[in-house]
Amino acid sequence: MNDLESTDRQMSEEVKETTYWKSLNELANNKEYQKFAEREFPENATELSDGVSRRGFLRVMGASVALAGLAACRRPVQKILPYSKQPEDVVPGVPLYYATAMPVQGNLVGLIAENHEGRPTKLEGNDMHPASRGGTSIFNQAAILGLYDPDRSQSPLKNGDKASKADFEAFAQSHFANTGQRIAFISEANSSPTYNNIKEQALSKFNNATWVTYEPFGEDNVVEGNRIAFGGRLRTHYNFENADVVVSLNDDFMSSTHPNSVEYAKQVSSRRKVTDTDGEMNRIYSVEDSFSLTGSYADHRLRLKASQMEAFTYALAAALSTRINGLSAFSGYSNEFSDHKWITVLADELAANAGRSALSAGSQHKPEVHAAVAAINNALGNTGSTVHYLEVPHLDEQSSTEAFADVVSEMKAGNIDTVVMVGVNPVFNAPADLDFENALSNVETVVNLSDYVDETSLKSTWHVNRAHFLEAWGDGYSFGGARSVIQPQIRPLHEGLSEIEFLKTIVTGSIESGYDLVRDTFRGYYRSGFDNRWTNILHDGIDTTGNFNDVNVRLSSGFSSAMNRATSNISSTSGMEVVIRPDATLYDGRYANLGWLQELPDPMTKVTWDNVALMSPATAEKLGIEEAGAGQDDYDVVEITVNGKSINIVAWIQPGHVDDAITLTTGYGREGIGRVASSYIDYTAGGVDVYPLRGTDNMLYASASVSKTGDTYEIACVQDHHSLEGRDMYRQASISEYQENPDFASFATVHTYEVPGMKEAEEMGEDDGPISLFDEQTYPDHEPQWGMAIDLNSCFGCGVCVIACQSENNIPVIGKKEVKRGREMHWIRNDRYYVGDDADSPQAVHQPVPCMHCELAPCEQVCPVAATTHSDDGMNQMTYNRCIGTRYCANNCPYKVRRFNFFNYPKEYLTTGDDPDIIQMAMNPEVTVRFRGVMEKCTYCAQRVNRAKIEAKNETGSPKPADGAVKTACQQACPADAIYFGDLTDDNSEVAKMKRNERNFQMLEELNTRPRTSYMAKLTNPNPALA
Amino acid sequence: MAQIFPKWTNQVPRKILIGLIVVLNAIIFGVWYFFSPEYTDVGYAPEQPVPYSHKLHVDQLGLDCQYCHTSTFDSKQANIPATQTCMNCHNQIKTDSDKLALVRESWETGKAIEWVRVHNLPDYAYFNHSAHTNVGVGCESCHGRIDKMEVVYQSEPLSMGWCLDCHREPEKYIRPVDEVTTMGYQVENQLEIGRELVDKKNVHAPTYCQGCHY
Repeated sequence: MNDLESTDRQMSEEVKETTYWKSLNELANNKEYQKFAEREFPENATELSDGVSRRGFLRVMGASVALAGLAACRRPVQKILPYSKQPEDVVPGVPLYYATAMPVQGNLVGLIAENHEGRPTKLEGNDMHPASRGGTSIFNQAAILGLYDPDRSQSPLKNGDKASKADFEAFAQSHFANTGQRIAFISEANSSPTYNNIKEQALSKFNNATWVTYEPFGEDNVVEGNRIAFGGRLRTHYNFENADVVVSLNDDFMSSTHPNSVEYAKQVSSRRKVTDTDGEMNRIYSVEDSFSLTGSYADHRLRLKASQMEAFTYALAAALSTRINGLSAFSGYSNEFSDHKWITVLADELAANAGRSALSAGSQHKPEVHAAVAAINNALGNTGSTVHYLEVPHLDEQSSTEAFADVVSEMKAGNIDTVVMVGVNPVFNAPADLDFENALSNVETVVNLSDYVDETSLKSTWHVNRAHFLEAWGDGYSFGGARSVIQPQIRPLHEGLSEIEFLKTIVTGSIESGYDLVRDTFRGYYRSGFDNRWTNILHDGIDTTGNFNDVNVRLSSGFSSAMNRATSNISSTSGMEVVIRPDATLYDGRYANLGWLQELPDPMTKVTWDNVALMSPATAEKLGIEEAGAGQDDYDVVEITVNGKSINIVAWIQPGHVDDAITLTTGYGREGIGRVASSYIDYTAGGVDVYPLRGTDNMLYASASVSKTGDTYEIACVQDHHSLEGRDMYRQASISEYQENPDFASFATVHTYEVPGMKEAEEMGEDDGPISLFDEQTYPDHEPQWGMAIDLNSCFGCGVCVIACQSENNIPVIGKKEVKRGREMHWIRNDRYYVGDDADSPQAVHQPVPCMHCELAPCEQVCPVAATTHSDDGMNQMTYNRCIGTRYCANNCPYKVRRFNFFNYPKEYLTTGDDPDIIQMAMNPEVTVRFRGVMEKCTYCAQRVNRAKIEAKNETGSPKPADGAVKTACQQACPADAIYFGDLTDDNSEVAKMKRNERNFQMLEELNTRPRTSYMAKLTNPNPALA
Repeated sequence: MAQIFPKWTNQVPRKILIGLIVVLNAIIFGVWYFFSPEYTDVGYAPEQPVPYSHKLHVDQLGLDCQYCHTSTFDSKQANIPATQTCMNCHNQIKTDSDKLALVRESWETGKAIEWVRVHNLPDYAYFNHSAHTNVGVGCESCHGRIDKMEVVYQSEPLSMGWCLDCHREPEKYIRPVDEVTTMGYQVENQLEIGRELVDKKNVHAPTYCQGCHY
């Protein structure tokens, strides 16, 4: 008894050394925050006083809605419709998996589509594809929702009136018979060889045609930079697997907004898989203005304004020129950063790791910055090891940014008769000073192919609805040059045309099948054995031949003079600057109508449904902005003016942001493209369009004036929701600390005393954990025992686990108003903590939190109807049909992972929407759709577990699947392989190995809940010179 | 003073009480019996678009269940056969039968025959045929004597309690896997053979919720 008392005292006297905080309010720990955190749900969250307005609700649900069970009392009559002629390989009830690929900014990511009787329901990464290696990004996961989005354009439009595909064909035949007309083709980036063949045909048929590629966040500057450095327009492709030191100059290459994020995340995180004290890690430096995912993963992070990045890069090159050969262009150069501590440290570190380091710069920085970066990498001998320069056949020969501006001025001058736009939306996202909309009005005929009836379609003579990539044949290359075929999974739902078919129709005047066009392209690659090869390519999802040329580069003769010009003419801003970036969840706006992505909290700010103006605490203070109190949702609005154009947007205090700068993200503020993206009547959401501030001379940053307007705006931010209230939930150490004390993450080390109750248990001869009031369950030997380990050293917070879970488990989207009340339904949340007491430049860490599947689950003890109980295979199971909605379990869950259906989110839509059948198709048929008043939570993907158990039982007689046979949706999607899941009774399973690792720890172990989900403590690899 | 109530009223409270008990019991029994799947679902025999007779095809012609229901051992679903399966024989036999008009039409047009589902489980119950057939749960254990049915009807309640009867004591019902499709399978020492089979096939039918509900 005395022991227990002393333990209690120890607990209360314990002083925490590291502070982890989610918001500035939590750091301040004011009364308001304490009151807020004590509640399980925010104030009003549990009141049903003002039901969601039905109309508003329907608008927000979009495709994100589920198939509800038929809730009639009478026996429903169901029909079974078997095939007339049974297709080969289709066994009803057994899903089929086909390889396909998703074009993201023109680059393919290999995917595997799960197909239930001809209906794709889930996308996974393709292990064999180098740009995926089994991982996916949030955009890949959400693509399935895009396919079934009822707001997609469903037919061609002629001057806004519905027309048919045949009408368009007839128009194309007559209009494009005149081959002498002045045509401008404006296309999105597209790596498809078939598409580019047709492009050549178009350019040779129409002799007055010009072709430009327009991407609001393209790679043109990188390619131009490589031209300055090496004389050729080349793509930079990193291999971070070979890099011991990675330096990112404002390049967020791990975030889903990067076209090759999955491959890069795999590579970088693979070098941080430390399994024992002999393990080694790469070291990551990030120099950036706003807190990015890469920055939060870095070992060292420096805040620097985007406008200063250029000078910083040259200073680094100059410092390196004294250490290594090959940078004579910079010798003797110095600027205000030359004495910066970081320059010396980075130069030393890069020089010491020559050939095993990688330097990268953000794609929107000036070409000269990329030229300097390329020269540095080359001088370091990184070329061929960590950096490759690829000859990409489909890249434009000239700078596409300039070419686009030229075409727009030609349009303005009335020199263009017809504009054909493929997949682009320049009316929304072209640089504002070009005034694209006005230029378009000077063009007689405008033809547009797009997914939605978007801003550009509304200004077009002809709009053609585009087929989703899961509906049409296509092909293309990955970022690194792997060739794949895009295999459709379903016939076009709305008879759309793919970009290949669309362009071919314009060239030939008749619609041809995309399948034949793609096959013809591939037939051209192979002289013999085409059919076999074609089958193999379709099966594997990758064509192993035909990669991009890896070029041997040498500095061009003009490099020195180009750098001399650049260094003497550094552009910078003084005072306040505004930086415009693609949004972490909506990118440039093309994913704006996907409810999953709108509701996915921004990885750093945790804001949903809106974009905000990020600024540092110091800048906010200067502007008179105050952080809204905890639980309050009214945030100050600022007016931002750039070049005479203003927008009003909510100010958001982002710890770690550079001072005197504001970061804005694009993609929000769209009007009329769909129910989800547009602001809706009874409640404002959808954010602010920031493109009006972006001009051709300030694609990345611009000087701005900012002032507080005095207005406020409501923001649904989840950072304080489900707070663990500063309890011990995260553990980390540097790798040297780990080597000295491998047990740094154990409870005893962190708290300086043993887990309460352990000693008593040992005295009683129990060895499976501390003494407990509750009965411990015995698990039968024949059952596998499931467990999960999450490696915090791998997780970088991208949020793809959340979207993958949402897709797999039919989780509804609930809308801004509901999120604001803390009712978000995500089964796995990604907590982002800032670390340390310095709000200006804290470290940030990420922690995914699913249900812990506690063996002694507190939720199970309080359920009055036994709706949540334990299964024989060790899972905390939730039986929806028993649940009566008391929510006691959620109140008693120390991890706050239980979610309650305050409304019948799915059913609302099913009975009233205008196209419910389509929405139902997105649902996973193996997971129950939950009803109002029911609690739900992570099930460890029980449907996948049960499927694997049954398969294993049928094949081997034992219900224990082989290790790796069950992957949870979050685990499968993770590009950093941070999640391990498997059978704990199998000593050789990956997860069992992880659990034996000394870094393994349980969250809130002192509560003796014995969670089956545990964490691996994070390691950092700091440079002693910067300590 | 004259008595207000006659003497017989003394018995009224007792009678009311007894009456109430009887009525309440009747209600409870009524709900228990008449609302149960045993009463509501057993015997459900909807009219099918094609008057296919299992009695004729199985009992008299001797077709095995798996000739048509091919995925029974491989999938969670025991499929309804494609029209093609019917036409394997019926492009030669009874080619002009009126009863088969719909089958021929489906074969020619590619349109599906809309069969009416007889055995309907709730959406939150995930039943898997292959998990049962591969350990020796006979077709007739759940579907009854299909070979005697002119029109297929539901012969078992398919309620959760009924499922659990077998999940708790599989030895009472289990049979060798090669007897799964046998109709009218019966052995005298079922319990003994059942126990052997349960051991041999390592049968541990789940009785926890998530075995079927997720």
